[in-house]
Amino acid sequence: MIRHAKYHAAIALASALTMGAAPAFASKDRFMVDLVSEPSSLDPQIQWNPDSYYVYRNIFDNLITRDDKGEIVPQVATSWKYLSDTEIEFDLRSDITFHDGSKLTADDVVYSVKRITDPKFASPQLGQFDKIADAVALSPTKVKLTTNGAYPALLAQLVKLSIIPKKIVEDVGKDAFNLKPVGSGPYKFESWQRGVAVTLTRNDNYWGVKGPFPTVVFRAVPDGATRVANLQAGSTDLAVTMDSDQAAQLKASAKAQPLIGLTERVAYIRLNTTKPPLNNIKLRLAAAHAIDKEGLVQGILGGYDKPVPELLTPAIFGWIDGIKAPGYDLAKAKALVAEVGPAAKTEIELATSPTFDQRIVQAIQQQLNEAGFNVKIGMSDMATYLKRAQAGPEATSMLSFGRWSCACQDADGVLFPLLHKSSGWSAYRNPKVDALLEDARQTLDAKKRLDDYRQVHEIVAAEAPVIPLYQAAALYGATKNLQWRPTPNESMFLNRMSWKD
Amino acid sequence: MQGFLVRRLGQALITILGVATLIFFVQRLTGDPTYLLVPETATQADIDALRHALGFDRPLIEQFGGFLADLARFDLGQSVVQRVPVSTIIASRLPYTLMLAAGALVVAIGIGVPVGVVLALFRDGPIAKLAAGFVLAAQSMPTFWSGILMIMIFAVTLGWLPPSSTGGFSHLIMPSIALGLLSMATFARITRASLLDELSKDYVRTARSRGVRTPRLLVRHVARNAAIPVITVAALEISNLLAGAVIVETVFAWPGIGQVTVQAILARDFLIVQGVVLLGAFVTVLLNLLSDILYSVVDPRIVLERAR
Repeated sequence: MIRHAKYHAAIALASALTMGAAPAFASKDRFMVDLVSEPSSLDPQIQWNPDSYYVYRNIFDNLITRDDKGEIVPQVATSWKYLSDTEIEFDLRSDITFHDGSKLTADDVVYSVKRITDPKFASPQLGQFDKIADAVALSPTKVKLTTNGAYPALLAQLVKLSIIPKKIVEDVGKDAFNLKPVGSGPYKFESWQRGVAVTLTRNDNYWGVKGPFPTVVFRAVPDGATRVANLQAGSTDLAVTMDSDQAAQLKASAKAQPLIGLTERVAYIRLNTTKPPLNNIKLRLAAAHAIDKEGLVQGILGGYDKPVPELLTPAIFGWIDGIKAPGYDLAKAKALVAEVGPAAKTEIELATSPTFDQRIVQAIQQQLNEAGFNVKIGMSDMATYLKRAQAGPEATSMLSFGRWSCACQDADGVLFPLLHKSSGWSAYRNPKVDALLEDARQTLDAKKRLDDYRQVHEIVAAEAPVIPLYQAAALYGATKNLQWRPTPNESMFLNRMSWKD
Repeated sequence: MQGFLVRRLGQALITILGVATLIFFVQRLTGDPTYLLVPETATQADIDALRHALGFDRPLIEQFGGFLADLARFDLGQSVVQRVPVSTIIASRLPYTLMLAAGALVVAIGIGVPVGVVLALFRDGPIAKLAAGFVLAAQSMPTFWSGILMIMIFAVTLGWLPPSSTGGFSHLIMPSIALGLLSMATFARITRASLLDELSKDYVRTARSRGVRTPRLLVRHVARNAAIPVITVAALEISNLLAGAVIVETVFAWPGIGQVTVQAILARDFLIVQGVVLLGAFVTVLLNLLSDILYSVVDPRIVLERAR
């Protein structure tokens, strides 16, 4: 009896061991990508996180896209023109087919817009598209979008609108489409071994630039040290999310290289200007003078990130060159704190979450305390941090560290939520700034918008409701002969990569 | 035997219901996942709308009732992040957890029990001291360190084994060793203690005086008696291993239950966490029952009816 049980156990174990596929070592035919987690979803309208869109942006085409320089350029739409402040007409390519062979038409574009803007569909991305009031197909290659009021960030948001095939989604249903997505992009969905890997194959009929790798496998490798080891062992071709130490390790490696891209993401400290002691402008300016941005970037981040004087990065529309922000000046900071007196010693909380680089947060705490503040770090899990960070001035912490990306490269997605009084994130009340932000949101006149944002930058520099820190760099690791330029929107378009010979 | 089983199954059901209640409410105390799902630019209205669509704005009691009703139909619900049934997610991870648990157990028992025997037989000799040092070192090394060290040596430098992820048998070797070395120490210690205890008993002295040699004595007489504590520990260790080895799975990018659990906790993907915790409770209860039954197989003197 016992012997039988052992026999069965052995069989079970042996069959379990052989279940997996053949060893997945990297080769030129099979391009291996290490992500941190597996994608949450491959339906481009359901999930919003990098590990998902790194993959699905290769399966789907977007209505429009950004080139490597960051300019908005045609993709499914070949051209567009405003009919009025609230109406915009897109001409579509007529030669795009989905991976099942069916044609991509205006109906698919309309369906994609309507699906993601339907509140019942509960897309987390609803907020990015809910200014769109209507979408109409004027002909198989013409679509008209109507917005609620003039909406200058529309094109910047549409860069993220993946076009899905109406007929297939309606036929198979939402759940099945999530498991087996069909798009029109340069790569076709092949398989999803849940928890292990997503495999894509090249779409040889792609209308645009074809991908350089016949097969691409995305794996989940949660530990950064393991991703580095994978690169060094040659079992991975491209890995995401390295830190500066790991990038240095890769520089010294014979097989791998770090690839660095400055992103649209800006790191900042938000101050609660509505409550003492930081309702005192002197103390806010003292804090701005106390923080050594250059020191943080050079000393901790390996010099890859870039200090900024305004709450944007050069990758974002609304960036103005030459804004003068309070520079690092410890003596001045100390003097300002001394001027205020004992009130400056009130304990203030610097809210953060384990997701952020704690070395940076601790360095900022130290720099502020050196100037005479009494800063304590308040650490909570990401969900709690997010809830508190956008709870409004009454409930939020005095200081809050953050790294902001609207994934739209438009100032409206950064300055409005962080400063305007209607937003939960804002702990600042300034009618002038509110008016400027509203004005910039309501006009399509780019020059006027830039002028509004310049004024906002100047007020932020003078009143320090937020201390902009640095433009965050995205650090990737790759095999030595991969050629790829990471883009500011943290996408990973496989058909923009190539091999160096 | 039958009465025993019925009683124990009743207890098991109550335990699992208790676990289900606890995990449901403890998780909800921490808030809900909506904030993690939306992009930064979402307004409060967007957030409220999503919360409503996902059902997290309903009264807790109503949510709990729904959860129990689903549970009674063996429906663990759908992940709010992945929007895929929880049972699908767990089922896809389970084979990997089983593989790794089996591999680790082979390492742990395969090394731990013989080492325990050596420790007991040569109590004060140099071999035992060496073995004890080995056990101590293996248990003291944190797996995130021993794991990455093994990867650096055997995958990066020597290139003998794949550094991470799954594939064939070769992918299983390093994670099994990393995980197995930890429980190996437990097995070695318990085997040693149990064996020493048995070796000091009268029947052993009698057998020795009859001239029975040590190997035969161990196999024929002592092994069965010494096995009971080892079985208990094995049951506990297996339920530990099946709950997922978070660190080893993370270091080796092994797609087991532990990895998915941590990700689900961080993302507040409640339904996955509930599913995994319930699975863990179920496995623990089941293994305890099995080990009780095994006692009576190994030692006929133990009669289950009276044992409890």
